[in-house]
Amino acid sequence: MPFPKIQQRERERGKFSVCLLSTIHSFIQISFIHSAAKQSIAMKGLFKSKPKTPVDLVRQTRDLLIYADCNPDSRESKREEKFATLSKLLRELKQILYGNSEAEPVSEACAQLTQEFFKENTFRLLIVCLPKLNLEARKDATQIVANLQRQQVQSRLIACDYLEANIDLMDILVSGYEDPDMALHYGAMLRECIRHQTVARYVLESEHMKKFFDYIQLPNFDIAADAAATFKELLTRHKSTVAEFLSKNYDWFFAEYNSKLLESPNYITRRQAIKLLGDILLDRSNSAVMTRYASSRDNLRILMNLLRESSKSIQIEAFHVFKLFAANQNKPADIIGILVANRSKLLRLFADFKPDKEDEQFEADKAQVVREIAGLEPREN
Amino acid sequence: MAHDDEHDPKTKRSHYPLNPNGYQILDEIGRGCSAIVYKALCTTTSTVVAIKSIDLDRSTTGDFDNIRREAKTMSLLSHPNVLKAHCSFTVGPRLWVVMPFMSAGSLQSIMASSFPNGISENCISIILKETLMGLCYLHDQGHLHRDIKAGNILMDSNGSIKLADFGVSASVYETSSRCLNLNEITGTPYWMAPEVIHSHNGYSYKADIWSFGITALELAHGRPPLSHLPFSESLVMKITRGMRFSEYQKEEEKGKKSKLSKYFKEMVGLCLEQDPCRRPTAAKLLKHYLFKNCKGCDFLVKNLLHGLPSVEFRFKETKVQRSGSMSKEHEDEDDDDEEEGLIGSNVKKHRRISGWNFSLDACQHGPVFPLVDSISGPSTNTSCGDEETAKQVAFSGESVVSENEGSSRSNVTDGSEGEVCIGGGSCVDKEVVMGSLMTLKRSLDDQREKVIYMLAVVGAEETSGGGGEFGGKEEKLMQVIEKLKLELENEKRKRTSLEMELEFLKLNITNTSDV
Repeated sequence: MPFPKIQQRERERGKFSVCLLSTIHSFIQISFIHSAAKQSIAMKGLFKSKPKTPVDLVRQTRDLLIYADCNPDSRESKREEKFATLSKLLRELKQILYGNSEAEPVSEACAQLTQEFFKENTFRLLIVCLPKLNLEARKDATQIVANLQRQQVQSRLIACDYLEANIDLMDILVSGYEDPDMALHYGAMLRECIRHQTVARYVLESEHMKKFFDYIQLPNFDIAADAAATFKELLTRHKSTVAEFLSKNYDWFFAEYNSKLLESPNYITRRQAIKLLGDILLDRSNSAVMTRYASSRDNLRILMNLLRESSKSIQIEAFHVFKLFAANQNKPADIIGILVANRSKLLRLFADFKPDKEDEQFEADKAQVVREIAGLEPREN
Repeated sequence: MAHDDEHDPKTKRSHYPLNPNGYQILDEIGRGCSAIVYKALCTTTSTVVAIKSIDLDRSTTGDFDNIRREAKTMSLLSHPNVLKAHCSFTVGPRLWVVMPFMSAGSLQSIMASSFPNGISENCISIILKETLMGLCYLHDQGHLHRDIKAGNILMDSNGSIKLADFGVSASVYETSSRCLNLNEITGTPYWMAPEVIHSHNGYSYKADIWSFGITALELAHGRPPLSHLPFSESLVMKITRGMRFSEYQKEEEKGKKSKLSKYFKEMVGLCLEQDPCRRPTAAKLLKHYLFKNCKGCDFLVKNLLHGLPSVEFRFKETKVQRSGSMSKEHEDEDDDDEEEGLIGSNVKKHRRISGWNFSLDACQHGPVFPLVDSISGPSTNTSCGDEETAKQVAFSGESVVSENEGSSRSNVTDGSEGEVCIGGGSCVDKEVVMGSLMTLKRSLDDQREKVIYMLAVVGAEETSGGGGEFGGKEEKLMQVIEKLKLELENEKRKRTSLEMELEFLKLNITNTSDV
């Protein structure tokens, strides 16, 4: 393609003119240089009548990110100038990808931008340099990263290929939860990246997975909730990967899940955890895991304690898991024993157990559970 | 529009404590459906803050996605005209959102207290301009506000204006908050754009512009247009007739000589275009002539805040007023609550399960039974622990029945009616009702056995006791027996009534299956 080459030459010329101008006016204030640079761009536009292409913008962004990356904390006006330009560029890139109030995004421009972004290390630089950007630039960068995950170039998600080759970037994103200033940005990026199955598999199988049990309970609610959303996404989005992960890691995973989440002193943690547990176990692809979970007396004990919570919402969610124990057609003897020992109390509980909204499915499930428990015979062994 | 006012690339989180111990609640200053707003002192930083405490247990969706987004939005926004959260954390089932305290409160409450007929146009244009800058930022960030109104425009003692309460969980600083039963629709009806009320194509930025126009009128007149009508009628009016601004204007002018400038009316007219596409964007609107030569915020301090009572005082005032004027409504609500309480929570209170019995082999997880019953003291051993609680429940159940027979019966019949309505399609409800009846019956049987057993024990003691103190003991025992007999009577009555219900239900079932 000859097209990019022409752009390159043009870009260099532009750069040259800026350099020239800035040397000429080096004794004048920076702000003046800035306006002069602008002017030169405008002039160039006048003569060439060609606006900057997406590829141009990405390259310029990359140059500035390289600068930002290797010039730590030089507090000078030149640096500030560069960061201001970088922020502006990121805003422009965002507008190409998302469009604005006047125009919808153009798919050709988006494809060019995406291709250039992943061609070299711009993506990595953006993630690494994110803490150095100001709040607005961070937000723009997050939206850019999110959008790039969905862009197709020649009907391929090239973001996925890139991430597979640069999978260590996920380590940066996950650890972001430990930095309150970065958590929401990196968290949002992470959730977008795990849309790709291979990336999600990497995170699931990494040591990071254990850290989520703590991230979910971080004191800052917004961060904890973000981590919980990511955790949920990891455990529900890619069915086959999740099923494989859960059966391979059953022991430690559910031990942690029970003790840290379902028995957490934190109301929100318990409530989110019991809801997610229901979602996981009731998914058809996890039926093997479900059978295993519903055969354990310890699990039953935890679930029955959640059934007695004062929060109606937790009770209802707990029921959706408890019903699996009752409906299991091959109940182990100890499960039957517990159910029989608590039969009258359970039936009493279910007698006036109802969600606030009418729910036919819930009533049907409840009827079945009641029938199941009422008909249990203690097995002697 | 980048806001480069904060050049520091490190936008650090503010260091406010993340637990309730760091705050000292000073006063309640607002109340919504599921949230309360407090004025509080942050003890570590010695700053006054507002804390919005949201009851999460009332949010029925399990994953709190809305609340998560709102929390995220509030901590990532940074604009002088947008209220930001210092931090948020959970306290039991409640979420505390710590925000700057805006000491003058909402414009709605300022008007209610000092300007019942609206405020002057000079002040309004300043307020609107500041609000519009906040809105512009929100839209630029891709957020919709969805609930712009004077009640969500806050003012500080220095006259600065902030737009608050994006997201929809509850209203902050809202003194006239009422719970709405409009499930999907968010926003407050008087301020809502027509397309929000009846649209299928969703809510756009332009709906915020409509609400902005209505807010302008609200500030000018002290209340939103059409507010003399109840919510539902104002909705119908907007949909069927369309709210033509011109008509509204005519009506206004009939009443009194208009005090509003032509620029003001023009600006409002632009916002209230029926067709959302023809309304200007926030950025465009900001360039309107009305906002050209606005005075500064100190003008507001001079003209609005003089002699204004404090936020907490105003809140108490309106609370008193409301409890007067809305007492009837409140009573109704309370009644509802009480009824629910009798059928639901009261029973729940008695029937709350005290512990599970996991003691399969050797009491590994010791069962916890509160042994309140003094009579049954000696007979309590592990073998009949279960019966014990069953008995306790039956007793309390009985008291509910005898005191409130009507309601509990109506409860049961309600259930059966519902079931008849559902008809033969599903036999689900029948089984649930049958199941619970059977449970009750079983617990009654248990209890009868228990009573018989107790009688036997008493009888045995009677014979073995003998001797001098026989008389006194006999009397006591007779009392106990009397008591137990009474209980037995009650049980029998209850049982017959349950059997009747059962018959009735069986009849229903055969009827429906015939159908």
